[in-house]
Amino acid sequence: MAGSDTVLIVGAGPGGIEAARGVADLGKRALLVETKGDIGGTPYEYYATLTPDLRETHEAMHEMVTAVKEHPLIDLRLNTRVVNSEGEIGHFKVTLQDESGSRTEEEVGAIVVATGFQHFDPGRETQMYGYYEYDDVLTLVDAEQMFKAGRIVRPSNGEVPERVAFIQCVGSRDRQIGNQWCSKVCCGIASKQSIEIKRMLPNAKVFIFYIDMRMYGFWEDMIYWKAQEEYKVNYIRGIVTEIIRKGDKLLIKGEDTTMGRPMEVLMDMVILSVGMEPSKGTLEMANIFNLPREEHGFIATKDGGPLDTVSTKVPGIFLAGAAAGPKDIEDTVSMGGAAAMKAVATLNRLALEVG
Amino acid sequence: MPSDRYLEVPLVEKQRLFDEVKADPRFHTYLYGCYECGICVAACPSARFYDFSPRKIAQAAAREDLELIYEQMNDDIWNCSQCFSCNRCPRQNSPGGLITIMREVAVKNGMRSMKEALAGYTRIIYKIMTTGTQVSPDMLQEDAFPDWGPQVKMVSDNLDLWRRALPPETLHTTGLSWQVEERTMQELYAIWKLTGTLDMISEVDEGLHDIMEEIMDDALEESGISVD
Repeated sequence: MAGSDTVLIVGAGPGGIEAARGVADLGKRALLVETKGDIGGTPYEYYATLTPDLRETHEAMHEMVTAVKEHPLIDLRLNTRVVNSEGEIGHFKVTLQDESGSRTEEEVGAIVVATGFQHFDPGRETQMYGYYEYDDVLTLVDAEQMFKAGRIVRPSNGEVPERVAFIQCVGSRDRQIGNQWCSKVCCGIASKQSIEIKRMLPNAKVFIFYIDMRMYGFWEDMIYWKAQEEYKVNYIRGIVTEIIRKGDKLLIKGEDTTMGRPMEVLMDMVILSVGMEPSKGTLEMANIFNLPREEHGFIATKDGGPLDTVSTKVPGIFLAGAAAGPKDIEDTVSMGGAAAMKAVATLNRLALEVG
Repeated sequence: MPSDRYLEVPLVEKQRLFDEVKADPRFHTYLYGCYECGICVAACPSARFYDFSPRKIAQAAAREDLELIYEQMNDDIWNCSQCFSCNRCPRQNSPGGLITIMREVAVKNGMRSMKEALAGYTRIIYKIMTTGTQVSPDMLQEDAFPDWGPQVKMVSDNLDLWRRALPPETLHTTGLSWQVEERTMQELYAIWKLTGTLDMISEVDEGLHDIMEEIMDDALEESGISVD
């Protein structure tokens, strides 16, 4: 018996959207399942603009979001979760549950898991940044909400900040926390946000405290040089160890490592560049589909190597985006296309074997 | 720039000392690799007041910079207060732990700078090793602690009375921080002897070592605890 002609895609962020689009454009049915009430994923929900081009997120993603909603071969199920899966390549029997609790079973031939990441919770950091203690200590995500609202103010008093600091690698690259990976995008996002702050508040002084700045390829001059040269953002090599309230300001303690001296400076607002961890959905899907995880906790690819970024260890199941590890949107969308291609190829191969 | 402060000391000697540091079984869990982020310096109380950097300790060890390590073993390691605030390192290094090892190597090798650094501590070493308690009430004299204000004199003049006013009887002491059981001291002496800690003191101060050894040997003989 030939396998099912449907590909299940779990998660409708940029990776899942691109995978669904790819499957449908290649002539197969795409069953796109999303637990939330809208598609677009983490960037669409939280980020005002995209990195590195600073385009407004909803405008930039409009085309792909609309394409998914209108494609006749894409069956989009919002507010729906995958709760069980049985069977194997060509004949997975997956159980879906909608928000009212009612369940349906679907047979699919291949699966793409695109359940992404969640932001690191700064309450777990091992320094002393006081995210839950000080109103003016924010995360990248909190800052994006301000950009969306078009107003950057100190949450503590509603005033415009004069001095803003970013602290990099919060929850990343840290053996004490157990997250021994670089989250890849936070350097770029912090630089992008610093440009946005300077655009909205030209008189503000903006500092980025870093261990290494990691902006590969074109991100180098698109955001790093741009922030430094055009917007006069101050990059200081050294990570902050502690934030203390001093009057109505925040005193940050660190070392300026290139100058080789301890440093204590006052800030009005501090933004923590929180990294990526596997999302709850990613961990759930690893369980439901019996997908082994790699040593950092993300879903493992087939051989862990660089030549196949989307195949999992389970035949017929593929990955797109940050479910496989920290990813920028470029990589996520590229993986979506590659996963769609491999998923459809799987269905085609099964059909040929039967014929 | 390499350190040029101890050019008269041959490189083989610097190598030998570093090899001893590196051979310590704790070394590999105190130093994984350093990305020079400076968190340790920011957290370090000594770095605020001295030209001292736990980051440079970790970096010098990671780079195996023998000249700089030797300089640090002479000029830096005794500026550390061993509070281990630097242990918040995201790579889980312990610059303070490296310093512990470097200090032990400095002591075992009788380095001159070590003797100078510890010269002012013979009384404390004696106190700790013979009684198990450190700063005793009778050491708090106004000439030693002028910055503590006039009450130091007031208290020290009638120290015995003040101490007897404290509710726990074990604190009615002046020459000890608190009363120490005889058996506890005997066990302490056995530990100092068996672990080689007492031997290390002979490199710090030969005379001090001999005095303490006599006290300990007598006490141990009386106790019946064998340390052979």
